[in-house]
Amino acid sequence: MQTANPLRVDLGRGLVLDNPVGLASGTAGYGFELRQLTDLDAAGALYTKGTTRRSRSGNAPPRVAETTGGMLNSIGLQNPGVDWVVDHYAPEFARWRVPVIVNVAGSSVEDYVLCAQRLDGVAGVAGIELNISCPNIAHGLDFGRDADSAARVVSAVRAATQLSLMVKLSPNVTDVAAIARAVGDAGADSISAVNTYVGMKIHRTSRRPVLPGGTGGLSGPAIRPLALAAVAGIRATVDIPVVGVGGIVDVESALEFFAAGADAVQVGTINFVDPDAAVRIAEGIRDDVARRGLRHLTDLRRRGRRQPA
Amino acid sequence: MSTDLRRARLETGAVLEMERLDGGLIELTARLPHLAAETRPGEFAQLRCSTGFSPLLRRPFSVAWTEGDTCAFVFEVVGAGTALLAQLAPGDDLDVLGPLGSGYTLEVPPGRVLCISGGLGCAPFPILAAALRRRGVEDIIVLNGAATASRLYPAARFQRGDDGIRVIEATDDGTRGHRGFVTQLVAETLTSGTAAVFACGPNSMLVSLARLLMATAEAPAIGEASLEAPMGCGFGTCLGCALPVLASGRDRAWALCCSDGPVMAMRDVDWNGIEALPEPSVA
Repeated sequence: MQTANPLRVDLGRGLVLDNPVGLASGTAGYGFELRQLTDLDAAGALYTKGTTRRSRSGNAPPRVAETTGGMLNSIGLQNPGVDWVVDHYAPEFARWRVPVIVNVAGSSVEDYVLCAQRLDGVAGVAGIELNISCPNIAHGLDFGRDADSAARVVSAVRAATQLSLMVKLSPNVTDVAAIARAVGDAGADSISAVNTYVGMKIHRTSRRPVLPGGTGGLSGPAIRPLALAAVAGIRATVDIPVVGVGGIVDVESALEFFAAGADAVQVGTINFVDPDAAVRIAEGIRDDVARRGLRHLTDLRRRGRRQPA
Repeated sequence: MSTDLRRARLETGAVLEMERLDGGLIELTARLPHLAAETRPGEFAQLRCSTGFSPLLRRPFSVAWTEGDTCAFVFEVVGAGTALLAQLAPGDDLDVLGPLGSGYTLEVPPGRVLCISGGLGCAPFPILAAALRRRGVEDIIVLNGAATASRLYPAARFQRGDDGIRVIEATDDGTRGHRGFVTQLVAETLTSGTAAVFACGPNSMLVSLARLLMATAEAPAIGEASLEAPMGCGFGTCLGCALPVLASGRDRAWALCCSDGPVMAMRDVDWNGIEALPEPSVA
């Protein structure tokens, strides 16, 4: 079937993006700063800062440390809480053309469910991205660490909302594809992969970790080969849409994720360096698809999806 | 709800001069008409150090002075990013994002203004002193401290031809001016008629100054410091550059160096928390 917009991405349950390039959670806040620096409405989606049931003031500084080809962060989910987001931010989101997908984090199934219920049916909220994998808060990683607990939280949230539900997976596990299968079976509409890798930087003179908690989440081009391998493994395992994220900095690196089987991508750390990055990459993909005469960007893949049994 | 970034934009301009001063200080000037027109004293720009992705993040620098469509930055080589910046030559492109952050208060009551600089904390003071003079401030004293004489930013560069700006120097090793820390000069220059104290320098200097002012009976109404923190974005989005501030009713409170600062009222800062921070890590 001919698709009018070759960049259109259907992420399930009514969440349709005009183009596949979103701004990754934690690298775009709630959009208010980047809107002033770039044409955010030309991006495919905005994935908000991780949002929790109650506001969080975040971790003690220092919170970021640059590493070779990347950066470590330990922000600690500083956010104003879901009620503030619904009451004060969503009315703004509703005026924007870019779909806003609210990233939700929690430390109990109840936290996730309450956030999902609060966001359900709110104008301006296009979908939920479930963060079961934040490495920077106590217990934040737990749900993403094994297939059973991941499935438990996804099932509970699935029952609590009609919104399209994306689940963002942690790469800090033995078999990310097994967790992808579990969250797919539990009712996720799509999967984003990957969150940051647990990393450490040692201070040159003190010989102690730079980040007060010892470790942080590593992002940036340094993780791209790792993220691509994770995406390819997930693609081979599930049939729901996969959103690739990890170290994309330009059109070429975004196209690598489509080749690995992604249906859409998120651009993260590079937003800090170049506020225009996501929009420029979306335009570049549009040009590439047109130049190759492709019907749809999924034709960029070298191999098709696994055929359902 | 969010940081006001209406004056900030990406701008690429040609490097005009790379002037190597004594002691490893480098003054970089570039043709950046937007930044030159829009920046206010104490604000900063995020400079891209590499055309590739290593180092990945931009580096924040105060705008030292502007003239026409030219902006100047003062830095020294401390890591990979500044090493690349130091290799720029006249004619090379410089990619900046700015102006960013909050600057110093320019509306000051009549009286003396003390500008207290430690090391590379000199950077915002040429532009600040000039702006204050244009607003009619007659008595400006720059207290300029550094480890040793060669590392003192030259007095004439604070003055930029204006003899009305006085500069008093201090060096840790006594090779020029007062022997000791620049904060030791505050007691003799802080008069009851001092309207404002503006500071920029290492955390240890700012902590000493803050405590000194707290212990001063007639401290000036305006006391502001430009602070530093490792930054991700520089425009209020990544939440990486948190600094401890005082707040009532909450056990912890953070402000963002990039958007709440870098210039903050000294009375709002949790100086004990600042003192407890580790030395910055170099990428």
